[in-house]
Amino acid sequence: MKPIITIILCLLFSSMSYAQEKYLTKNGHTSFFSSSPIEDIEADNNQVLSIIDTKTGKIAISILMKSFMFEKALMQEHFNENYVESDKYPKATFKGEILDFVTLENTSEVIIKGNLTIHGVTKSLETKAKIKKTEDHIFLEGSFPVKVADFNIEIPSVVVNNIAKTIKVSFNFDHKPYTK
Amino acid sequence: MIIMNKGKILLGLVISLIAIGIIISASLLNKSHLDISAENAQIVISSNKLFEDFQNDETEANTKYLEQIIQVKGTIVDINIDKNKGVIALTSDDELGNVLCHLDSTETHKISLLHKGQSINIKGVCTGFLMDVILVKSVIIN
Repeated sequence: MKPIITIILCLLFSSMSYAQEKYLTKNGHTSFFSSSPIEDIEADNNQVLSIIDTKTGKIAISILMKSFMFEKALMQEHFNENYVESDKYPKATFKGEILDFVTLENTSEVIIKGNLTIHGVTKSLETKAKIKKTEDHIFLEGSFPVKVADFNIEIPSVVVNNIAKTIKVSFNFDHKPYTK
Repeated sequence: MIIMNKGKILLGLVISLIAIGIIISASLLNKSHLDISAENAQIVISSNKLFEDFQNDETEANTKYLEQIIQVKGTIVDINIDKNKGVIALTSDDELGNVLCHLDSTETHKISLLHKGQSINIKGVCTGFLMDVILVKSVIIN
């Protein structure tokens, strides 16, 4: 008898955890920062979609390039039209995995490994992030450098001194259980 | 004398041309962002139709709607405040997605007057489609 009860209990609990398997945010924040002797350029995006599968630690992030807001309208125009060509490549994506996600402490530092796609070019990426897990939140925060040339983004020679060759990308996501 | 005068006129002309050039380029460099509330909407559409268009053919919808000022009419399904900015979700015929209107910071105080189920007109700039159609810098019309 006992094994059967154990099996039933196991099934019950696994289906319970199954119900909250995905955590998600639609208002994730991503920004990038370019520092050069001539000027600092910063852009913010507060519409990032990020989904974590808590069963596997897999993470998928989608970013609309046109959602990056710059201080100056002209910077935004150049960014979209000339550099990342957002009409052609409207999204940047990251698909990967939070390593050892299932066995993590509630607050810790994690390694995220996966593939980052910007401007139609995919590169592998490994970065550290801070994670905080609670019942109804998964916070994820971190930053990593991106070499502009790695993603075939050409900066015209006229403004080559205004834009850093390596920009800093920061992210800050507050995932909540996906109930739909 | 005449040659002197000509030289002076030419010099004056060159200086004023340079000055005009500097003024124009400075104003171009500091061109301000679009003031959505002052602009007329380029497209007027229901939130259901807007979502449907993106769901059916995202590429085509992108060429049609991206960076356009869109006035959407829809029913409010959700109201949130995220980092002091209001986000209003409007209905679609699909239960997984909505039209998400991220309000301009100057508009957020108005959301206390809104409630779920209310029909509303919102004007904003479309930046694309993730799980939802995204509008930013949105202002509430009525």
